[in-house]
Amino acid sequence: MPALARTSADFLDAIHADVWHAYALSTAPLPVLATGDAALDAQLPGGGWPVGALTEILQPPGVHSEWRLLLPALARSGLGPVLLVGAPHLPFAPALAAQGLALQRMLWVTAQSAASRLWACEQALRCAEVNAVLAWLPQARSEQLRRLQMAASEYSKLLFVMRPQAAQDEASPAALRLHVQPHSATQVPASAAQGVDGLHIQVLKRRGPPLERPVQMQARSPGLSLLLEARHALDRSTARA
Amino acid sequence: MHWIAVQRAPEAGGSGVAAGDAPALVDVDQALAWWALRFTPLVARVEAALVLEVSGSERLFGGRDALLQQLFETGPPVALAHAQGATSLLALARLWAQAPQAPIHTLPLHSLAAARAHLPTLMRLGCNNWGQLRALPRGGLARRFGAGLVDALDQAYGTRPELYPWLTLPEVFDAPLELSAAVENASALLFGARRLLAQLLVWLRARQRGVLALELLWELDARRSNALHVDAHHQGGAQGRMELRTAQATQDMTHLQRLLSEQLAQVSLPAPVLYLRMRTLQTQALGGESLSLLPEDQRTGDSLHQLLERLSARLGRDQVRSVLLHADHRPECMQSWCAAVDAIKSGAAQAYSKRARGQFVPQEMPREALYPTWLLPQPLALDCDEDGPLYQGRLMLLAGPQRLEAGWWELGDPCAGMGMGGDTRAALRDYYIAQNPQAQCVWIYRERLSRRDGADRWYLHGVYA
Repeated sequence: MPALARTSADFLDAIHADVWHAYALSTAPLPVLATGDAALDAQLPGGGWPVGALTEILQPPGVHSEWRLLLPALARSGLGPVLLVGAPHLPFAPALAAQGLALQRMLWVTAQSAASRLWACEQALRCAEVNAVLAWLPQARSEQLRRLQMAASEYSKLLFVMRPQAAQDEASPAALRLHVQPHSATQVPASAAQGVDGLHIQVLKRRGPPLERPVQMQARSPGLSLLLEARHALDRSTARA
Repeated sequence: MHWIAVQRAPEAGGSGVAAGDAPALVDVDQALAWWALRFTPLVARVEAALVLEVSGSERLFGGRDALLQQLFETGPPVALAHAQGATSLLALARLWAQAPQAPIHTLPLHSLAAARAHLPTLMRLGCNNWGQLRALPRGGLARRFGAGLVDALDQAYGTRPELYPWLTLPEVFDAPLELSAAVENASALLFGARRLLAQLLVWLRARQRGVLALELLWELDARRSNALHVDAHHQGGAQGRMELRTAQATQDMTHLQRLLSEQLAQVSLPAPVLYLRMRTLQTQALGGESLSLLPEDQRTGDSLHQLLERLSARLGRDQVRSVLLHADHRPECMQSWCAAVDAIKSGAAQAYSKRARGQFVPQEMPREALYPTWLLPQPLALDCDEDGPLYQGRLMLLAGPQRLEAGWWELGDPCAGMGMGGDTRAALRDYYIAQNPQAQCVWIYRERLSRRDGADRWYLHGVYA
């Protein structure tokens, strides 16, 4: 029997690479784009954001971390336009440009109805020159997202859909689903005078085994955290003096 | 000299329906002439047929065989029958006699247009083909049947030059279309417009031009007009018009058709429409498309300007925006978002070229890297208590102040053209970076000199995402 067991294990390893073992991260046939954060890359199938698949990012209401998460990758995603569909506020171009997203690449699309936002996303995915589509679709249903997922995979585009935390229990066709939340002040002692700087990234769905512990990441952009650290050091030195 | 005679194949009939599911043409004969003019400038209409003299342009197309192949394999607008010959009358006779290879002497007399009037007499003479007619004495023939027959025979045998009123291409495409039934719904006009577009495509190909702007006009049935419904489109009386513009010269009719349907969807007709008319306003010579050798450059999908035009047509011009930066210290005046369709048409079009996009070099930690990535269109006044401002809980100030004093030269003058609107007065602000209990970093400012009573007024202006 041991001989047979070994044979079957060998057999399992020898079968085609497209067959994915549930205990391992999928070595994705999809191309990926590194996120710019090694700890996060290690937990994503293929080692980065999937190109040609839907990535869903869930956030608590009123809290935004999407640029922190996506900007390093978008800056390296190519030279084509990046479409923002249904953005919650006005994108502040000088700040985005300073963090690597060239001005000429930003296209901001606003639409009143949810249906026209979906339509705009799909049209953008069908455009040859577009590199990435960022969409804020709070009310999108699963079959609508599936349509976008199909378009993204057909034209191999980066597609990120930002949705509220409440959508967590809904079914989703996304290849990758993340829940992103900064450390809130209640989780750390209030004595941390300079505020807390940490981002919990919970991987809700990926092509691989479920992830128990959330990935940690800096919640602030490198420039901002540098400034705040310097400021904090200054405060301490004056307090000591 | 080498002549080709073409005529619509009998099975195509009068419908002018091309192969496949392409829309029918508006005026098939005209379209056929325009198509023929792509291959030679010497095209003339003889009765229902066209004659093309190709000896002058053979070399350009790489020989007679190559020319013929292009002529009939690259899709004439309708199915065609054709025949060739050294003279136009010979080619026509072979076409009409349906004997493409017949020697000239054996052609039947009815295939010579000038002889048709005298056909019964000639038949009684025992004269049945061209050879027999030519064998008759010239003088007698001319006396009995007139000089026209002799001249035509000479032309057919190539001993007399042939002259035709040559067809030319119009400078501007302008085609009318009478609708077969009155159309009451604007989006149903698209069916007629598709036929006009198919005709336009033939003209554009013949001229080797792309369309930049065209207009669609329609004539209303005034008797059934409903005066209550008159809208901005119809102030000019019983006519309606719509203008269509594209950023790049195009021959892509599916793109034009999509734009047309988006625009027609927004038109309401006060009365049924009987006539349509399409006219080009601006066209441009079209260079050939250059294809890349490398497979990775051949991506599928639409081009960017097509995407922008389609989005703008449905959502509205000002809903699809690209950004311009301004040298200003006030955050709300640092950038302006304006219609991307305009930007791509104007000088900013170069910004989309690969070279310009490749030039971006990130600076080593510029000042702007400390700005928030989201800006509020209007600063949001924050509630305060005795300890400071509140936004989703108490705000903890992390860094600041950054003092801003600008815009005093625009006192009372609204921030024109910045797209921000609102009351832009002199900005006397202290900016802080703050954090709320949800650990969301925000950008807030305190207005200085704002109130006589000295109480602080706090505003939320940006969100760090």
